Formats: sequence, structure tokens, C-alpha cells
Amino acid sequence: MQLKNVIDMPCGLRFMLDELQLQSGYARRFLLDSHMMTSSEQLRVSYEVLKQFSAFVNSIDKSRLNTLLFRLQGVKDINTTINNLSRKAVLDDIELFEIKHLAILAGEVKKIMQEYNLNQVIEIPELNNVIDILDPDGLKIASFYIYDSYCEELKQLRSDMRKNPDQQEQLLIEATELEDSVRASLSEKLYPFVENLSQALISLALIDINVAKALQISSMALSFPNVAATGECRYQAMFNPQVKASLEKQGREFQPVNIDFGSSPSLITGANMGGKTVVLKTLALCQMLFQFGFGIPASSATIVPCDEIFFCIGDEQSIEKGLSSFAAEMKKIDAVIKASRTDNIILALIDEPARTTNPTEGTALVQALLKVINGNNVRLVMTTHYDIEPGKAHCLRVKGLVNGLMDYSLVEVHDGDVPHEALNIAQSLNIDSEWLNEARRLLGDGSSCEESKPNNVTI
Amino acid sequence: MPFINEILKYESLSIVGLEKNTGKTECLKYVLSRLPINERNIAVTSIGIDGETTDQVTRTQKPEIVLKPGMFFATSEAHYRQRRLLSELVDVSDESTSLGRVVTAKALTQGKILLSGPSSSSGLRRWMRDIKRFDISLAIIDGALSRLSLASPAVSQSMILATGAAFSANVNTLIHKTAFVVNLINLDLTSERNIALLSPLDKGLWMVDKDGELHYLNAVTSLSKELNIDGAEQCSTLFVAGALVDSFLEKLRQDKFLRHVEVVVRDFTKIFVSPQQFNLFEKMGGRIRVLQKSKLIAVTVNPTSPTGYVLDSSMLCQKLSETINLPVYDLLKNIECN
Repeated sequence: MQLKNVIDMPCGLRFMLDELQLQSGYARRFLLDSHMMTSSEQLRVSYEVLKQFSAFVNSIDKSRLNTLLFRLQGVKDINTTINNLSRKAVLDDIELFEIKHLAILAGEVKKIMQEYNLNQVIEIPELNNVIDILDPDGLKIASFYIYDSYCEELKQLRSDMRKNPDQQEQLLIEATELEDSVRASLSEKLYPFVENLSQALISLALIDINVAKALQISSMALSFPNVAATGECRYQAMFNPQVKASLEKQGREFQPVNIDFGSSPSLITGANMGGKTVVLKTLALCQMLFQFGFGIPASSATIVPCDEIFFCIGDEQSIEKGLSSFAAEMKKIDAVIKASRTDNIILALIDEPARTTNPTEGTALVQALLKVINGNNVRLVMTTHYDIEPGKAHCLRVKGLVNGLMDYSLVEVHDGDVPHEALNIAQSLNIDSEWLNEARRLLGDGSSCEESKPNNVTI
Repeated sequence: MPFINEILKYESLSIVGLEKNTGKTECLKYVLSRLPINERNIAVTSIGIDGETTDQVTRTQKPEIVLKPGMFFATSEAHYRQRRLLSELVDVSDESTSLGRVVTAKALTQGKILLSGPSSSSGLRRWMRDIKRFDISLAIIDGALSRLSLASPAVSQSMILATGAAFSANVNTLIHKTAFVVNLINLDLTSERNIALLSPLDKGLWMVDKDGELHYLNAVTSLSKELNIDGAEQCSTLFVAGALVDSFLEKLRQDKFLRHVEVVVRDFTKIFVSPQQFNLFEKMGGRIRVLQKSKLIAVTVNPTSPTGYVLDSSMLCQKLSETINLPVYDLLKNIECN
């Protein structure tokens, strides 16, 4: 699975990517084309590299960092040119210029990498030979033409051209022929460096990506996860960067959440507006960020890689496919069940399944789902408002309203009983009291609307 | 030569033809041949395909653009490969045109080149900014008005306007129509506050009220049939990000609150109104202002039309110069009328 396929998953991944300060369009495309990492070994190596870059951006002085970023801005996608070279085509001046530009740029970045002992971490191949071929006069400037020094005859011809402007047209044809032969010989000389050029381009993109990720870790206060091969996922003080940013704009704070899950299915219950959906979205975001090697929005995290990630959030009506919200949801959960019968390790995050149908059948569907998806290879986190018999499931509940204030933290409980706070919360939203009182009467609850109002209810 | 000295006061110049075959390329050639290229780095580009040997539309002879050693130029990849001069490539941009990316190079010998540079205003602006690192002190843009181009020549600091028999074969009509364009080019800038407020807006119709508050007029465009603007009585400025057309001015004139407002457009190339409507609007107390303008240095005329009709050059220059109060030159004859 490539990053570009999942970027619009409704968990805020695009926000993280938009906030990533990549320097070149090439690096952005390279990142979007990258595949999700699924092996813990691969992830460990990737985070090892990122840690070194993190130390680097924190120690390098500002002006030197700006120099590096400025160089990285100059990286262009010249894969077409490199492909032309690899199939032994004769390159034209523009293509030769691109190669020279890349070689000089790679050399400059390599120098900075060497200063900070990062040249072993992401290796940029030596391209001095390429520069020598394309810079016969040793000018070390990223400009190019068929220099006089390539060919004595050409030099003579050009000087004749300057002396006899009348014969210029004729001489120009001769000069063009000579230039073409120089281009052919240059292309031939450059051919052995195809691999190095291609590698240099990749390395420059990787450096750009790692620097951007490292800078994001400092600016958003993200952390490096512990990569676990099996076992539980544990998050301490997990937060959603997008929600946090928008709350901060309103002068409010995001309340981080602790959550452990994985060994058995987890069931999250809790009041409306208690942040259950945000928890699921953030879990999806963290898992994605993890498997693409980003910093994690939590004070500490232990995460297990999965082969497949399912994120079922309600309201998936698909008018084009003619599916109602219920049908769309059923199809999606069906895919989870099918995947749970393979050998793949899967993470399934399901938000209030069967919420759009009647509570009797809905409860039965959710209860049954808990039973059906129960293999060792499935990590299931599910939210619900239905009263479910948890069985082996691990139950978490949003603390909910405490003295009129919403406490978003999750507490472990041993039954699947759902809290009955909907009316209190509706009241806090200033919903019509006649309606709410009537509802209370039907529930046989004598108390009428109280005046206390929670003041920091969000989501 | 006051014309050339005047040009050197600015960092950028665009040469704009009112119609094909009004002698724009002749003008560019004239300017290039007289600039002190040994003292300054000069870069040239075009926002249409230019420098072709025959006119793509009328098949008449067109002058080729000859560059001298030391001049920088920007053209498309396709045209760079067809160049007939020795040049050193200094930049390949991400700016893409229908003829490939825009490349910038420095001429090493004298020779001919087809110019086809950035094709959007933002691309042009980026190019002008990027070439600063080669110590370019003057960027010349071969502009186009009548051609379909997204690039506005108004991004340059100064401008030369080329007009001629191709624009109109009747001397009076030609003078009249040219004078109107000159009027538009010379439109005053809006207030500095408005410039800061309105420059970032790239689409839609906006209103600035008397308290200086900006409002987006969601439901109306300058092409809407009805002009029902909430709070029209509070309106002091209307900003039209797109084209300003006749029917819009007409509707403003009919609104008792809006007939005296200041209408702001990005630059004169966004104005597509007839002289009649324009004058009527101004007479009724309305004003049209721009966010950016170029200093019009001179007007050149080509008295020969592509269909073979020739106007009296000296009479034309003199009459036009009197009307617009600017120097007018027939570059082929090189008669200066001031």
C-alpha cells in the first residue's frame, strides 16, 4: 500500500503531510509513492535513521540548516534523463545540464552530511567523475554548454565564426555536427554512472524527507515509537495534532489520552461527545504515521506493525454505488471479517458499528461481531453505545462528565455497560428543555433539567 | 536616445502589441540593438510564441530575434533545441509550457532564437525573481495583448506599446482606440491600504465598506444578471478579480448606491469595457483603479497593415503624440515625434 492511496483516510493523515516541510516536489512525490512498512526490522532501521536526523537538526546551527534546505530545494526529478542515459541515448544540452546540476548539488549536500557524520546513514554516491566530465574547465558552476575545450576543431570553428559573420550559417552547420559528436561521447562517458546518479537522486529525496520528519517531531512535540514485533500497543498521552491545533486556535487545550490495546478486542464505551471517535481516528493516524516512519503524536508509544489496517467510520454512504449508510458499513466490516480469516496481521478500528439500524438487531450484530472477529491476528478496537456482553473483550470507558466538565480520559471497566449521559450532555448543549424533560419522564427519571452546564465539552 | 535611457531606469520592461503585426517584434529588436549590453546583464523572454520567421496567422514576414553575446534569454525546451547560436544553459525551471519547460541561457555568440517563455503571470513573476541571481538588471518581456495568454505584461515595471495600421486602417479610429488603451495603462493605483487588502485575492467579487472591512460577495459575479449587494449603501470599493465587462459597469451605473464607488481591477489587462461605457461610468462619478501598473514609456507605430495598406507615418505619429501626450515613434522610419 502506498502513502498516496491512504492519504485521504479520514484520520488526519493529510494534515500531517501538509505540515511536513518538504523542500522539493520530487521528495513529496517520492514520499507519496513509498510503500507502507510492515516488518518490524524495516521499521527499526527506518527509525534509527530518523533518530540520527533528529539529533542532527537539533544540533546544526540555523544558517547551516538553511543552506542544506536551500540546496534540497534545487532537487528536480530528472529520472527521464537518467532513463535516457541508461538506454544509451545521446543526451542533449538540457539533459547534460540536468545531470551536471544534480552532480554538483549532490556533492554540496554530501559535504554537509559528512560534516555531521551522516554520510554513512544515507549515502550519496561519489559523483566527482560526472562533474569532471561535464565541467572540463573546472569552473564548478552549474551551467552547461558544449565547451570549446571538448574539441580543438570546434574551438577553431567557433573562433572562425566570430571572425567571419558572413559565413556563420555554413560554419554553424559544421559546428553542430561536431557538437553532436561531443554529446555522443559525453553520453558514453556518463553511461557507467547511471546507477550512481539514480542513487544520488533517491538519497537526496530521502535526506529531504528525513530532515522534514525530524523538524516535524520537534515542532509538533512528537515522539519516537518503540517498535514491537508482537504484543500490545501502548500509547501514553496520545493526542491528535489536527484537533489540538484547532483547539489551540480557540485558546483551549487538548486532553491527551492513554490507551493500551491489542491482546484481546477492545470495546470503548462512553458518553456522547466524549471523544471516542477522536480516539479511534488518532489510533488510525498513529498506526499510519508509524508504518510510514513518522514521529508519533504521544509522549511515548509502543506500536506493533500490521499488514492491513481497516478504519471503519460511520456515514460511509456511497450514492454512486447505490449503498445506504448501513449497507456501506456492512460491506466494510465484511471486508474486515474476510481479512481476519487470512494469515495477515490486521488492525481493525470500527466506530459504532450498526448504529444506523434498530438497537435490538444492532446490539446483536455488534455482540456477534465481537465473537466472530476474535483471532490472534486481529487487533480490534471498537466503539459502541449498545449494551454488550464483553466476554473476553477489554472494556474501556470515557470518564465523561465530572462536575459538569468533560473528562476525556479512558478508564478500564469490567463490564460492557454503557453510561447514560446523553440527556445531560444534550442539556449542556442548550437543547429544548421540554423535549429533554419529556424524555426523562419516559425513562422514569424524576429529575428535571439542572442549571449546571459543562463548559469545555468538545468534539 | 531618451527612449533607451528611460528604459534603463526600470528593472523590467514589457513590449506590448495592440494587434498582430503592429511592429512589436521590430520594437524589441530595436531596443535590443541599442541597449548597452556590455555594461548590464539583460534578459529577454516572451509570453507568446515569438521570433518565428513567418507570422503563424497571416503568413507575412516577421523579423527574427537576434541576440548578442552576453544576453540572457528564456525560452521553452523545444525552441532551445532549435536555437541558432551558441549558448550556455544556466537554469531549467519547473515552469512548464506546451513546448516543454522554460530554460534560461546566456548567449555566447550572436545568433537567432525563437522565444517562448513562461505562460502565466505567476510564472513570469517567478522567472523575473529567479534570474536576479544572475545579476540581471533589466528583464525584457515580449508581451501580447490580443493573443490568448494568461500572462499579463503588467507584471513589469515599464512598458512600450506598439500600435499601427493592423489595429485599425482609419487614422482617427486608430488614434482613438490607442488613446483608450493608453488611458487604461495609465489608470491610477488604488490606495495603499486597498493594495495590501486586495492583492492576495485571486477570484470573485469583493466589497470594501466604508469602515475598510472586506466582504466576499458570494452570490454575485461581475457577470451576474442582477446586482443585489447586501449593504450596498456602505460600499466604498468593489474589487473585481476577474474580467471587468460592460454589463457590470452598466449595472453599477443604475444602482444609486454603487454608481459612485471605486472599482478596482488587478491591472489594465483585466478591463474589457468599451470606451463608451468607461467614459460614461467615470462621468457619473465612478472611478476605476488598479492594483498594479506599469510606467508607459513610449508608443511605437507601424503604419503598414498586413493587408498592404500604408498610413502616413509622420502624420500618424504627430496626431497620436498630441492626443496621448507621450512620445510616439515609427521605428522602421525612425522618425521621432514628440
